[in-house]
Amino acid sequence: MTRVLTIATAEFLRLARSKAFLIGILLMPVLFGVMMLFSRYAERHVDLEDRRLGVVDGTGVLYEPLAAAAVEFNKESGEGADRTGPHFLTERIEQGSRDLNELRLEMSDRVRKKELFAFVIIPPTALTATSAARDQREKARRARWAGKTTPEAKDLEKKGEVQYYTETIAYDAMPDWLTATLNDEIAKRRFASAGIEGEAALKLTSRLDLATFGLVARGTDGAVSEAKEIDKLAAIGPPIFFLVLMFMTVMTSAQHLLNAIIEEKMSRICEVLLGSVSPFQLLMGKLIGVSAVSVLLALVYFAGATFAVFQSGRWELLHPALMLWFLLFLVCAALMFGAIFLALGSACASISDAQSLLQPAMTLMLLGYLGSFVAMRAPDSGLAIGMSLFPTMAPFTMILRMAIPPGVPLWQVLLSIAILIATTGGVVWAASRVFRIGILMQGKAPNLPELMRWIRSEQPDRARPAQAD
Amino acid sequence: MNAIEIRDVTKQFGTVVAVNQLSLAVPEGSIYGFIGPNGSGKTTTIRMIMDILRPDSGDIRVFDGHSRASVRDQIGYLPEERGLYKRMTVRQVLRYYGQLKGKPLAEIDPMIKQWLADLQLSDWVDKRVQALSKGMAQKVQFISAVVSMPRLLILDEPFSGLDPVNADALRDAVLALRRSGTTIVFSTHDMSAAERLCDRIFMIFKGRKVLDGTLDEIQQKYGQDTVRLRTAGGRAALAGLAGIESLTDHGNFQDVRLTGDPQAFLRTLVQQTTVLQFEITKPSLHDLFVRIAKPTAEDLREAGEKAS
Repeated sequence: MTRVLTIATAEFLRLARSKAFLIGILLMPVLFGVMMLFSRYAERHVDLEDRRLGVVDGTGVLYEPLAAAAVEFNKESGEGADRTGPHFLTERIEQGSRDLNELRLEMSDRVRKKELFAFVIIPPTALTATSAARDQREKARRARWAGKTTPEAKDLEKKGEVQYYTETIAYDAMPDWLTATLNDEIAKRRFASAGIEGEAALKLTSRLDLATFGLVARGTDGAVSEAKEIDKLAAIGPPIFFLVLMFMTVMTSAQHLLNAIIEEKMSRICEVLLGSVSPFQLLMGKLIGVSAVSVLLALVYFAGATFAVFQSGRWELLHPALMLWFLLFLVCAALMFGAIFLALGSACASISDAQSLLQPAMTLMLLGYLGSFVAMRAPDSGLAIGMSLFPTMAPFTMILRMAIPPGVPLWQVLLSIAILIATTGGVVWAASRVFRIGILMQGKAPNLPELMRWIRSEQPDRARPAQAD
Repeated sequence: MNAIEIRDVTKQFGTVVAVNQLSLAVPEGSIYGFIGPNGSGKTTTIRMIMDILRPDSGDIRVFDGHSRASVRDQIGYLPEERGLYKRMTVRQVLRYYGQLKGKPLAEIDPMIKQWLADLQLSDWVDKRVQALSKGMAQKVQFISAVVSMPRLLILDEPFSGLDPVNADALRDAVLALRRSGTTIVFSTHDMSAAERLCDRIFMIFKGRKVLDGTLDEIQQKYGQDTVRLRTAGGRAALAGLAGIESLTDHGNFQDVRLTGDPQAFLRTLVQQTTVLQFEITKPSLHDLFVRIAKPTAEDLREAGEKAS
């Protein structure tokens, strides 16, 4: 046991002194900082173009309000150095005696020549369009998805009331603005034609605000507690924090183990080590040392988060019990993924060899991590519960669900951790079987079926191909 | 007493028999040379002595105990391909390797100090390994093998890549260890070093023991059938002479192995050319090695068939 601790200590110091650890500590805050700065910069700087819109107004009445709305829009974007958004410039296009197809071609050419950014054709029927036509189109679309469609239905589908043409399909600021503006204007006209104008129309269209609250309870003094309004930060902040921290720490430690074992193998250090300790001691020492580093990394972040909470006075964001659970899940995840990476690393002669073997393991880890973001939308769904019980996903999904109010029933947490611990034990055992063979092997990396044979083999040296000495 | 006793050990990898029915006794306090071509089973034997590998059959005893963890702590190992953690300092590496053998720092630190002083490395104790020259790193690697005060020291090509000054320093260190009672297994391809240093020599070839004994015993066994010749005619003068089994041309002189009586051969030779030197010698270890390990015509044919 003391040998295991000697190795664990050495591995702990190696990783804790390494650049990877420093990067691990700094990465998340730096990443968040960069993301925030970038999004702020992007908001201000990404789209400062003048975008010219050609308008073929078949109604004869919609162009004027559209142009006026564009002027308003541009005012909001600001002018000169203070400008934060694009300017929309409208240009009235008269159809005259031209055929609609000819007109489309002409306008398209102007867009290609960059004289226009896009053009829109508003047919005369736009003012009288009803939701019935829209419903019909929706029906036709559903029929097509179901595989039952007719040529008439297809035609119907293509006929929007208003047609917007552009080269830059991904740009949606202009069509969004166009949709909102035209709908507002048409609604105004409908109200007007119904004899409702000005203030009365505003009253009819005024919207309600929805506030979201947590549940109330009866306090110790017998009074019903006041419901607390839920804010976005409290609902999203801690879950994301715990999830990203879990992924980052597990990734840091597993990656380190992979690199370290391949380096030791390539430099033949492991031969010296195996002259002193058994492969199992070596494996366990490394796993324990690196898991300790990942716990240290998490504690550093917890300290930082606690400090931030203390500074801001928002004590409701602090989850001390969850931090303890987190550490338990973290240790299991670090051991499990660490053992997998270590075993695969021991079987390979170089990092590039390891890439293809690693893919399934990486996929397992990423599935749990990225899948958790999906689970965040409905943390109490069957899928989310299933994921939080499945061992390779549990460390990510369960921690995430626990961080989202109202939390998770205790039995689920206990079941999840029990399955996770059992699996971790099994994975470490299997990894040690691969490790004892892989660590002394030179040459070609094995494939997955060979690894399975190694795990089953009772005579490790028979499973290992002959080697030069 | 024997430091190592190997009895009927066989070790197989897949379908390849790496070590076949090997028996060997290494007396305590001796320097035992392990020689043999690449791929003949040397490293496998060494790994079995260190309990990195277990024999399929047979028995290995080191210091009268079965090769187990406690025995492993009494073995120091210098592998042929050197491995040190590049980012650690010399002191950190040496402490780590010593601790892995179960020694407390209180015992390791004085050893580190002493050995670094002996090998003129004291100034480098807190430098990182990656800052060392190749020769210095090799000396540090040697110290890492002896810092735990092993009773058995296994050295795999300890002198390769060292300049003569450092090689001498290392040789003195090895001899000093032997004087203090350490048993040394010395694995090498350098036949003259093996002749000079070793008390006994063991050669393994294709997994089997082919030589074992003191240099004298081995040479005795292979007979005094080698003659070193220097003649005015050189190699050309030997052409067509009867009784030559094999000939090694060294340029200025030739070594020949004879099938018949050396005196009769000499009589024929003086009729051919002026003989400047005629010395009946023992075969060198180098010659014996080559004689055993040189591929036979049959081997070459087999290899050719495999290649085609």
